[in-house]
Amino acid sequence: MIELRGCRKAFPGRDGQAPVVVLDGVDLTIRAQEFVCLLGPSGCGKTTLLKAIAGLVPLDEGEIRIDGRSVTGPGNDCAMVFQDFALLPWADVLSNVAFGLELRGVPRATREQRAQELLAAVGLGGFERHRPRQLSGGMQQRVGLARALAVDPKILLMDEPFGAVDAQTRRLLQEDLLALLDRTRKTVVFVTHSMAEALRLGDRVVLMTSRPGRVRDTIEVGLPRPRPPDIEKHPRFVELKDYLWQQLREMNA
Amino acid sequence: MLAHRLDSLLLPSCTETMGALARLVDTAELWEAVWISNQAMVLGFLLAAIVGVPLGLLMGRWRRAERYVDPYLNILLVTPKSALIPIVIMATGLGLLSRLLVVFISAIVVITVNVRTGLRMVDPAWVEMAQSFGATEGQLWRKVFLRGGLPGILTGFRLGLARAVSGMITVELLLVAVGIGRLILDFEGMFDAPSLYATVLVVVAEAVILLQGCRWLERWMAPWAGEGVAR
Repeated sequence: MIELRGCRKAFPGRDGQAPVVVLDGVDLTIRAQEFVCLLGPSGCGKTTLLKAIAGLVPLDEGEIRIDGRSVTGPGNDCAMVFQDFALLPWADVLSNVAFGLELRGVPRATREQRAQELLAAVGLGGFERHRPRQLSGGMQQRVGLARALAVDPKILLMDEPFGAVDAQTRRLLQEDLLALLDRTRKTVVFVTHSMAEALRLGDRVVLMTSRPGRVRDTIEVGLPRPRPPDIEKHPRFVELKDYLWQQLREMNA
Repeated sequence: MLAHRLDSLLLPSCTETMGALARLVDTAELWEAVWISNQAMVLGFLLAAIVGVPLGLLMGRWRRAERYVDPYLNILLVTPKSALIPIVIMATGLGLLSRLLVVFISAIVVITVNVRTGLRMVDPAWVEMAQSFGATEGQLWRKVFLRGGLPGILTGFRLGLARAVSGMITVELLLVAVGIGRLILDFEGMFDAPSLYATVLVVVAEAVILLQGCRWLERWMAPWAGEGVAR
């Protein structure tokens, strides 16, 4: 379980301008094995919130607890998947997937075997010796996902992971992600600015406002799982999407 | 007649130069000169690398270090090396040390600047990714900064080596007449243009071999980098 209480974060303004408050008074509780999508316009601090959960960004005020323990820095509970993949170009795919385990001191044979299993799980068996730049964007993000899953985290933090790939690939990645999560239950915090993506994937959608970033609304999605490919035609999906649209329009007004 | 003599003085024919080169490589004189010059070059370059690489790494990693070091680096960058040579010689005499120092001054700026640039090419996303897996500062250096900065470091070595070779010749020509510079001055005094050109050819050949070696090293150690680091 992840508990966020009164989270506030401001970044110093440029050239003597007032500090930019990116998060202000954010309260949120994420249940174990829940899939929560943080939805909001660019600059609403959703990425900062994700990094705060990961222990990468210290908060100015408030507290984040994971299973009751306060987050003070990067720990072993979370693993992150990055928007721009963040793969190491000098290392082959296998070493990239094993990188998190390498940093945690897992012996080479063990970590490479584990990496091999995960590559197979994300559908990249046989690409072990390729370099990231030889792969397409979608394949690169599969490597990023395998790297995060390799350390077997309780919590998967995903920062617009499918934002940099084309629409078709995006759909396939979403379906594969859900299938993977069916096998290994994880708590997922997923940042996106796509309403359809949030509804297709999430158990709950957290709608955020920008500057300062606050939680405007949280919506229980309540769509059946496993989610069928044509979930977008589901009346509930249509209804929620309309609702989210309306909210976003009001935020811009 | 006069025109022809002048021509062969300024621009000896290829055959003449090659003939002189063939004679020259047979003499102990040339190899002794190469040996003497290269002592200063190699030692000066190593010193520049030993100081320049950590300095560049420091500047690339911490903005504050950059703020302190950058002005001095810029001064060194814009000052003509030939203006510094008399000062170095006044301070350290006409020995190996002064030549070594001139080579050092010539090479250190490009090494530092390129290592810094190399470290800047390390994508912040790689650093953040490593940190998210709990990487320590030591692990960050070993597994991210030094790996990701390697192309810049190697480029710094290559360009630094080029500067070191030219620094070595400059100081020998201008003030401390030893080694290859001495040889060039001797041939100049004797109006022996073919030998003069042959000597220059030897220097150029050495530089080209060294730089090609560096290029090969870059391609072998950091094939992923491709093009893109300042050259």
